[in-house]
Amino acid sequence: MNAIIEVKNLSFGYTPQNMILRDISFEIKAGTFLAIAGPNGAGKSTLLNLLCRALKQKSGTIKIDGALIESYNWEALAGKVAVVRQEFVPVFGFSVIETVLMARTPYFGTFGFENKTDKQMVNEALEATDTAQFSLRPLGSLSGGERQRVFIARALAANSPVLLLDEPTSFLDLKHQVGIYDLLKSTQLEKGKTIVAITHDINLAAQYCDEILLLGANSNYHIGQTKEVFSPEQIEKVFGVRTFVGSLGKENFFVPLGKFAKDSDQITDKHT
Amino acid sequence: MKELLTPKKLIIRTVSALIVLMAVMFACSLVGTESISIKEVFSGAGAQESVNPDYEIFVRVRLPRIILACLVGAALACSGVVFQALLQNPLADPYILGISSGAGLGVIIAVISGLDWMLWGRSPIAFFAFAGALGTVWLVWIIGRLTGKFHVTGLLLAGVVVNAFFSAVIMFLTSIAKSQQVHSTIFWLMGNITEEDFLVLWLGTGFVVGGIIALFYISPQLNALSFGEEDARSMGVNIAGTQIAAFAIAAAITAIAVSLSGLIGFVGLLVPHAVRLVFGPDHRQLLPLSGIVGAIFLVIADTLARIIIAPAQLPVGVVTAILGGPFFLVLLVKYSRKVSWLK
Repeated sequence: MNAIIEVKNLSFGYTPQNMILRDISFEIKAGTFLAIAGPNGAGKSTLLNLLCRALKQKSGTIKIDGALIESYNWEALAGKVAVVRQEFVPVFGFSVIETVLMARTPYFGTFGFENKTDKQMVNEALEATDTAQFSLRPLGSLSGGERQRVFIARALAANSPVLLLDEPTSFLDLKHQVGIYDLLKSTQLEKGKTIVAITHDINLAAQYCDEILLLGANSNYHIGQTKEVFSPEQIEKVFGVRTFVGSLGKENFFVPLGKFAKDSDQITDKHT
Repeated sequence: MKELLTPKKLIIRTVSALIVLMAVMFACSLVGTESISIKEVFSGAGAQESVNPDYEIFVRVRLPRIILACLVGAALACSGVVFQALLQNPLADPYILGISSGAGLGVIIAVISGLDWMLWGRSPIAFFAFAGALGTVWLVWIIGRLTGKFHVTGLLLAGVVVNAFFSAVIMFLTSIAKSQQVHSTIFWLMGNITEEDFLVLWLGTGFVVGGIIALFYISPQLNALSFGEEDARSMGVNIAGTQIAAFAIAAAITAIAVSLSGLIGFVGLLVPHAVRLVFGPDHRQLLPLSGIVGAIFLVIADTLARIIIAPAQLPVGVVTAILGGPFFLVLLVKYSRKVSWLK
């Protein structure tokens, strides 16, 4: 499989003295589900914004599907990369279907209307995310989990090979967190999409993602297979928190240990 | 329940609204202090010796006034739609970024400097209003840009501050002006629909209709922009292009409206909301329908302004506020319930 995202020597900062990202290089192969994890302020959202050109890098290159990101116009880039940001509800009450349809804006005809293909894409996206049942309801009337599914539906309707998500499960309860990750995983497996999601939940990431980009302070980063990257040592190094690691079958799970964690002194090794 | 907008629905609704507009224009043209008969009007101008008064009133007094009301109502309503979308703020109206105070300042400068030249047979007031309006929006835009590329909060605050500053300058100039000058300024500020020159009317109509068609062309992008800049960009919208085009067109048609009729409040705030409450927020429909409803609303308001205290006339801005406020509240309560029921 070819790399669909290639990042080389990427640096970004608002001032030269205060660089947020320094000299970052990595590749993401098409069809991979990658999580970006790391402490607050490490530059995860900045990196995501660079990958969709919401920000422009100070140096280095980003290639999407073989071409420099700057070589795309906005419409063409939207055809390559769809973004799901942290929840934003517009002041005016667009319905679910109107919201999802907006992903097709670059393909509208001269008079600003959708064609059959657009409608089909929208319907497929609504079905895939199980949002068709409330497609006529206003966005503001939905719960957080439902709304997040709508935004994922909108990203799917763009029919782009890459999906970027900024903390898609923040504010959601356990059931909805799992629901969103199930949806993303099935999107990856069934549609072959490349998914890049920022997350604070290393357990969900460990369970669902093929690869992890662990981004620490001062642009210390580590990218690789989930099992390689998520070790107690790495996690402690990057987050500054000790963890208890348990295994369930092939999966590892991490329980962060705070100062007051019971028997935390005794729990240092990996338990199986 | 709101279904998706289709071209067929849009055409049917737009044509129906246009038919209502025509009916309202026709009905309002027959109403006034002098009653006129349609039959007489259609019998033509009359022979040279015997002037047909009904025809003269219809063509020279009422028709221009009604066309101007349409033009101003449509311009203000569409401009309100655009500013609300661009600033993602339901309180935005065409005057929010300083157009009103800029135009007002232009007018008072023209009035107190006692300019008596004529340009194409017109007093300088309209030109000063137009230049003041556009100049102020440009100034606010530049200040807004300094706070970020299209920083909505920065732009809004710049608008508020410039508005307040220019209002203070207007107050200052009003205090040092002679009472006759003050009167004509205040009369202008209250909004006033009178225009007899058909050339001006047709030119104004051409620009406003052209502007609204251009805005309709970018209405899908305005939909996406309602979700914020970043979201819109990731949906493939050329943000800078859309914002500059929408902002420039909305400012220009507002400046045309203001220079022809003074400051008429409420239309640009209420009409977009009323249309949105009934037909939903999709700009492809919101823009044309708001334009037509704005025209209908201002034609009716101006007719009432002509007849309520006849033979004297009320400033039309008073009528738009008195008529628009309660009407809007009824709509708000009725449709908010409907929307909350959907929860």
